[in-house]
Amino acid sequence: MNDVVGYRKRRGVEAFMLAFSIALGIGGYLLTHLNQDAALPPEWPWALAALFTIGLVLHVVIRWRLPYADPLILPLVMLLNGLGLAMIHRLDLGTSPRMHSAELQLMWTAVAAIACCVVIVFVRDYRVLQRYTYTMFLAGMALLMLPLVPGLGLEKNGARIWIHLGPYSFQPAELAKLVLSIAFASYLVEKREVLALAGGRFLGIELPRPRDLGPILVMWLASLAVLVFQKDLGTSLLFFGLFVMMLYVATEKPSWAILGVLLFGTGAYLGYLFFSHVQVRVSSWLSPFTDYDQNYQVIQGQLGIAWGGALGTGWGLGRPNLIPLAKTDFIAAAVGEELGIAGLTAVMLIYGLIVARGLRASLVARDPFGKLLAAGLAFVFAIQVFAILGGVTRLLPLTGLTTPFMSQGGSSLVANWTMVGLLLVITHQVRSPVPEAPEPEQWLSAETTQVVPVGAAAISGRPSAGTAASPAHPRTPSGEDEDESTVTVPTNPVQQTPTSPDDTTQIATEHADQPGSDRAAEDGHTT
Amino acid sequence: MSELAVLGLKVGFLALLWLFILFTGNVVRTDLFGRKVSAAELSASGTPGAKPQKLSRRALRQLPKTLTVTHGKQAGLQLPLGDGILIGRASDCQLLLDDDYVSTRHARISRTPTGYQVEDLGSTNGTFVNNQRISTPVAFGAEDTLRIGRTLMSAEK
Repeated sequence: MNDVVGYRKRRGVEAFMLAFSIALGIGGYLLTHLNQDAALPPEWPWALAALFTIGLVLHVVIRWRLPYADPLILPLVMLLNGLGLAMIHRLDLGTSPRMHSAELQLMWTAVAAIACCVVIVFVRDYRVLQRYTYTMFLAGMALLMLPLVPGLGLEKNGARIWIHLGPYSFQPAELAKLVLSIAFASYLVEKREVLALAGGRFLGIELPRPRDLGPILVMWLASLAVLVFQKDLGTSLLFFGLFVMMLYVATEKPSWAILGVLLFGTGAYLGYLFFSHVQVRVSSWLSPFTDYDQNYQVIQGQLGIAWGGALGTGWGLGRPNLIPLAKTDFIAAAVGEELGIAGLTAVMLIYGLIVARGLRASLVARDPFGKLLAAGLAFVFAIQVFAILGGVTRLLPLTGLTTPFMSQGGSSLVANWTMVGLLLVITHQVRSPVPEAPEPEQWLSAETTQVVPVGAAAISGRPSAGTAASPAHPRTPSGEDEDESTVTVPTNPVQQTPTSPDDTTQIATEHADQPGSDRAAEDGHTT
Repeated sequence: MSELAVLGLKVGFLALLWLFILFTGNVVRTDLFGRKVSAAELSASGTPGAKPQKLSRRALRQLPKTLTVTHGKQAGLQLPLGDGILIGRASDCQLLLDDDYVSTRHARISRTPTGYQVEDLGSTNGTFVNNQRISTPVAFGAEDTLRIGRTLMSAEK
């Protein structure tokens, strides 16, 4: 056995960071009340206990099932979730008939944590997910297009990305993120050699062969359909971007990324020319102050972040309630107002760290499916955060995506925590040490000759008689009813009668599989 | 609360937030290169509670030496198990099976401190040990039969 290089488990580090992250979330909640009423809320121990229980359960499940999982992913996610909860509660306080969405969000956090635990407990090996490539793809596409079904889909705030489920509404695209990243990963593992084949060259870039363009065109049309019919730029960007990024990772061909950007640019430009909702988004991005009423949300977000300045107004001291949809789309603007650019940058950095840990797992992974899946899950977070935070800070046109883990909304929370569960399973598998097979020479020299009792000798001496038996001798498939010694008795009767002291012992060597094994065994008898 | 206390709490919270990120950075840094896992620890983690040294020697003596195809198109084919065998259609597999039900990289036989084990590599049609479809790595000794598609294999000493 050689020593191998492995990763530390670091569960203690995880527990400490988890406690720290929960303390920060609760700290935001307490500071809000301290700043607004100069007193702690009476129910704060309950909030602390609830978050702490969620963290503890997750930590214990990870200790039990995934001892080698990445120690940072859970605390980072928990911190974002805690800050989101505190901010939603702070926005609740600003509503005049007081709303209780933070309590609901806490309940959804618990549900999402349970979903994460279910993934951790039941997905022992992520590689089983590789089997259902096309089923996953069809399921993901169906989920993505589900809001377009008449009677089921629901248009809210101009985007048709919701469906009714009884009294609840649900964003199926959130679940589609997970399903489609699995589908893309397993598809690209199968097809990456073909997709990496070069066609012609143009301006020094190797272009893919025209016949391989099918999948990217399918995804392009699907994302255009989302853009046109669901009127959601963000979802469209998210899924097409995810596919192009994974295609690039799988094939290592920059031409795919360039082609993807060109295709998306063309699609977005066509959307801008023909659809008024895209034009509204673009005008509120480039020149929001020309139309105050139409771009009210973007303007309020901008003013909020500007009012916050470098260090923010402090928890509970700003006026983030002026921003429409501050709990969902614009929670980043509320954070920017109360925690300032310092806090908003910290939040962005935390998202960046989660993505970095996912990509790190992808680098360490030994099988291509694990590599692509970890990279895909990391890219989903990266693109989503880039699109929504870019929209809020006016780097990009505003898109209707949720801010992962922070925005109010059950489906988003559950889907994102499920993805975190899968990411943890992958990190555990890629970080746990694998025993490497030692070099054969070392292995033989390490094995010294040894004296063994006759019972075991009969077993190890069997190859000497094994040459007499046919090598293709068919074994009974249910071999457990045969005992080793009873098989050996008729073939090697000499060793079964311990008449002399020499026969009670035998030298066993590891060369028994060599052609000269008979001689080796006989040499053993003569000593 | 006084203006000063509000400012202090505000700056303190942000400082703690950034301290969290600094801690995270430190964990990332110390995590970069991993550490050496000793062989004893590895086998201890593989078989909890077992004495690795003794177990490993006994297992080594009982290890099968060759894998023989007992049934199927390539019946009679033998190859040494060595450090492990990759079974499938791909050119880097040690055992290239001529069978319609074999995936590109179908299964792997690898040596562990306790003996050989078979592991399914996400194959389409599955890997069967003693007619049981396997989903996790299972031990593969001399009396076990391995079935992949229509090919039966067994390990021999």
